[in-house]
Amino acid sequence: MAELRSSAAMSVVLWYGLLILATVVMHMARETQESQAHVVLTYLLIVLGGSVSGGRPLGFTLAAAATLLVSYYFQYPFDEFSLTKPIDAVVLSAFFATSGTTTYLLVRAQEEAAQARARTEEIEQLSDQASHAAALREAARFKDILLASVSHDLRTPLTSIKALAQDAADLGDANSEIIVAQAERLSKMVAHLLDMSRLNAGEFPVTIELNTAEDLVGAAVLEMKGTSGAERIRVEIDYSAPALVGMFDFVESLRILTNLLDNALLYSPANTPVVLSATRVGDWLQLSIADRGPGVPDADVQQIFEPFYRHASTSSTVPGTGLGLAIARSLAEAQGGQLTFSKRPEGGSTFALRLRAVGESILSFED
Amino acid sequence: MVMHPTRTDATVLVIDDEPEIRHVVHSALRSTVARVLDAADGRSALAAVKAQTPDLIVLDLGLPDQSGLDLCRAIRAHSLAPIVVLTARHIESDKVALLNAGADDYVTKPFSTSEFAARVAAQIRRARTARPGTSGTVEADGMSVNFTSRRAQRAGTPVRLTPIEWAIMRALTADPGRVYTHQQLFDAVWAREFGDARQYLRVHITNLRRKVERDPTHPRVIITEPGVGYRFGTPLAQESA
Repeated sequence: MAELRSSAAMSVVLWYGLLILATVVMHMARETQESQAHVVLTYLLIVLGGSVSGGRPLGFTLAAAATLLVSYYFQYPFDEFSLTKPIDAVVLSAFFATSGTTTYLLVRAQEEAAQARARTEEIEQLSDQASHAAALREAARFKDILLASVSHDLRTPLTSIKALAQDAADLGDANSEIIVAQAERLSKMVAHLLDMSRLNAGEFPVTIELNTAEDLVGAAVLEMKGTSGAERIRVEIDYSAPALVGMFDFVESLRILTNLLDNALLYSPANTPVVLSATRVGDWLQLSIADRGPGVPDADVQQIFEPFYRHASTSSTVPGTGLGLAIARSLAEAQGGQLTFSKRPEGGSTFALRLRAVGESILSFED
Repeated sequence: MVMHPTRTDATVLVIDDEPEIRHVVHSALRSTVARVLDAADGRSALAAVKAQTPDLIVLDLGLPDQSGLDLCRAIRAHSLAPIVVLTARHIESDKVALLNAGADDYVTKPFSTSEFAARVAAQIRRARTARPGTSGTVEADGMSVNFTSRRAQRAGTPVRLTPIEWAIMRALTADPGRVYTHQQLFDAVWAREFGDARQYLRVHITNLRRKVERDPTHPRVIITEPGVGYRFGTPLAQESA
């Protein structure tokens, strides 16, 4: 801003300096010249120069000053303001009108040129952004194709392995049972890696709709059927609470619950229950999974939701990618929910998934 | 382990470009159906549908020459046989699109052979039994619903259903065991195009479950197909429970 002001002051000084200099020079040559043409043209040049560098204010004031100077110094009688010949009045007004009009037009042309430049730049920027967005869309489409093909390529052989091993297991081959379990484990790991890559890409579309906690819990129990230890899952639904209805993504929430249930069954002793409960806490639907496992050491509580976290004492034979909790928390946050851990005072862990609840008023539909 | 359902004289057409998966399907259905035919691409699949009139079609998505959705529609134009889709993707919108295009059920890879065989058997059975329609009684897990007398009961105890709940039950049992998408159920029950009662459908189902299920959190009468829709409990659901 200060720079702008000082450059404006510079051009005022410069062009008024030139005006004075030209006046002095022409004044010295005055006696020998009767014509006003060279004077008027010289002043016009200065007015135009001033309006180019100083804009309208400088141009107009220079034009006014030059008109007075012409009248005072270069029209007979010299050195006084008096119009003795009508032609002098015509010259003066023509000069003033010409210099004023050209100043106005020149500055307008300059402004229009500046606007055109700005618009061109803006258009260039927009077209850059548009081609960037097109590139991003193309990249996202490519990523989808890649993920689909990776998941197809990995799951198809897993299907053969699992199915053929199961055939053999059904005939009583104990080794084949292990192959079935390991194929299952591998396919969960593939699912985790695909989820993680989708989450890392920052693109995770969620479908947030009216859903009920009971439906979610029921689907989770059904999904876990067949997992080893699934009979240890106890369901507790708080029927005393107002309707357990919320706005959430059913499928992603189901994925969170099955991740947490898998973990709970894996890390807790075989004879202990894993409690899956649903209740309402303020504006939240809360789904909790509580186990009687070893819990999490205080020092590690901050890290358990980090990708690839596995507790140091976890045996490498316990299956897992270390991604389950990281994925679960990201999925919760992607739909405006929360996933938290707390210690159970009597030992064990509770993971609480909180989803946005909906008031009872929305349920007053006609039936 | 689940016992293989009774062997039927049915013919099943498997459409899959991977020989290994065709082998798995053959081996899974060995004791369930009489004959399993193969097709490795969409063109020969359509030819086989017309020439062999299979009783059930197993369709793998990701064929080299045609999109699964297009093939599903093309098959539906020629055959009423149930279509069971095999899919590697667990993107729910894809499944919904397939069900809307005429598929009856889907199995996500990697699947267990016994579950796959049970689903195929259930679909064949479903296609062969007369549909209850508006008369007759449908049953699942001890819950019986009669649309003629408009009576629902569990173990002799009457269950009172609201008009909307009757409509949902009727829509679900028009084809027991078939997966209905939320949209299909909504269209059948509300028969109007405005509003988003589709969301309330889930709330209605929850209320309905409290009446018809032994334990609403372990549903066996109305089964949730996550992200896709619902199905009326099939013998499959009771068998493997």
